[in-house]
Amino acid sequence: MRRTGTRSTPELLKDLRSLRVAVFHPRDNDGEQLIRQLQRIGCQVQAFWPLPAELNEPFDVAFLAVNPETIVLDLPWIKSEDAPIRVAVVNYENPTIVDGMLRLGASAVIATPIRSFGVLSTLILARQLAGDLRQERKRVAKLESKLQSIRKITDAKSVLMNSRKISEEDAYAVIRDQAMVKRVTIEEIATAIVNANEILSMVGVNRS
Amino acid sequence: MLFSNTGVTAPIERTQLSGTLFAIHEVNAAGGINGRELVPVLYDPQSDAVQYASLAERLILNDDVNVIFGCYMSSTRKAVLPIVEKWNRLLFYPTIYEGFEFSNNVIYTGAAPNQNSVQLADFMTLNFGSRVYLVGSNYIYPFESNRIMTDLVEQRNGKTVGKRYLPLTAGYEEFTSVVSDIRKQQPDFIFSTVVGESTQHLYRAYAEAGLNPKEMPIASLTTCEAEIKAMGAEYAAGHYTAAPYFQSIDSDTNRRVLDLYKEFMGGEVVTNMCWEAAYFQVHMFANAMRQSGTDQVEALLPELLGAEFQAPQGRVRIDPATHHTCLYPRIGRANSKGQFTIVREAKRPVHPDPYLVTYSLGDWTTQIDTLDL
Repeated sequence: MRRTGTRSTPELLKDLRSLRVAVFHPRDNDGEQLIRQLQRIGCQVQAFWPLPAELNEPFDVAFLAVNPETIVLDLPWIKSEDAPIRVAVVNYENPTIVDGMLRLGASAVIATPIRSFGVLSTLILARQLAGDLRQERKRVAKLESKLQSIRKITDAKSVLMNSRKISEEDAYAVIRDQAMVKRVTIEEIATAIVNANEILSMVGVNRS
Repeated sequence: MLFSNTGVTAPIERTQLSGTLFAIHEVNAAGGINGRELVPVLYDPQSDAVQYASLAERLILNDDVNVIFGCYMSSTRKAVLPIVEKWNRLLFYPTIYEGFEFSNNVIYTGAAPNQNSVQLADFMTLNFGSRVYLVGSNYIYPFESNRIMTDLVEQRNGKTVGKRYLPLTAGYEEFTSVVSDIRKQQPDFIFSTVVGESTQHLYRAYAEAGLNPKEMPIASLTTCEAEIKAMGAEYAAGHYTAAPYFQSIDSDTNRRVLDLYKEFMGGEVVTNMCWEAAYFQVHMFANAMRQSGTDQVEALLPELLGAEFQAPQGRVRIDPATHHTCLYPRIGRANSKGQFTIVREAKRPVHPDPYLVTYSLGDWTTQIDTLDL
């Protein structure tokens, strides 16, 4: 493990100045404090209130007031794939508000009254967690598709093994050679074989 | 003192102000605090949270006030909270609210949900059934109370057949549309968390529609003697409210305090749970200050936490861990005189549990005794 001090500044801190941050909070003292602190940190801040139905430009992070008046944040852009990372700003801590915060998909929370201290850490932690989560999701998606492709190839191999009475190794060689000749992936050839087999068995053609 | 004399919640807050002034009068008549007179400084925050915050700061900075009595709606308490924390002062809050809060600078003397919602849900579902229609004012207390009520009726295999939120300023017409929906849905009972002046519109619209409280009563945590006086006893009769205090409590302390209050007001009086909390919290403060000799929060708190007082509802105690108060849940049915006939009451105080998320019906700590009717 490297000692603190020898470690260079993390990227999450370095890119604070280029961060596009949206603040969705009523225009009151807390809203102003939050905006000013984000500006001090050096983020590119834009304030919105009331909540817009659409976001016309991309943001990295959004601070959203979860208060009794806006508990149900039913805005289409919040649930979209490339929605900004959300930080809830709460003034109550009862289950109704906590539920609102969960439904928002918040990665972090700050409580009112807003103090300058803590905004930076919350911002960084929210980005780290949301970033990690996004990466994990991508990895899971990749693994899932890999798994699916393996299953496809296994199915295709058994189709070939049954119809041509060949070994598993030979079946794989047939698929691989076809993929090379046709310049497509092994998975695509496997899919084609499985699909063809399904159609043939559906129309009642018995090849053996 | 921060109680509204104008605005949507003025009628109930005026009773809190009156209870506070009455208690101060009693303290002063008994020689004040170690010979010093209590002098109230009052402002009217007009039921507006922004006013509450600025007037709280004015009390502290201009009037040199260390202890504030006041607030009714949660939004107004939330506005004052950062101010008393910032200047390290003490707020006494004499109102039922939705829980999930603690501040070292606040003493809570009204009921938390485990001291009224559970008992009300238990009583209503056992006596009327578990299909409930929820109607409330559009703010945090009704949202949270309805969440708890929904959980509780589900435990009795019931369900919510309707849910409506209306603005605090809603008029009679808006309630007639709610009542016609209620008639259509035919719930076993209606749970109302409507507060302020619009309360009377709900009960009136209900009566005008010819609905029968014996079959489909309204159950409330906030409709007390003050609201009944505003609407007229005939509209409230037969409906239910859960509260730690009703004017009709038949105890020596309550009778004695009511007699003195009549003398103080110079005639007949109508009291309620918020009046009572406002009344006893001043006495608890005075007792604490007699011990500490100062009204600095650091000196008062050790005397207040764990302190007991013989209040009109029974012997109450401030829980040191939560700063909330051990209270006596009761269920009352409004009668033709504008008072409540108490149908159930706790013989022992129920400990406050402001951070309780999941309630269960039939829990022994929330059991209250059925009285002979």
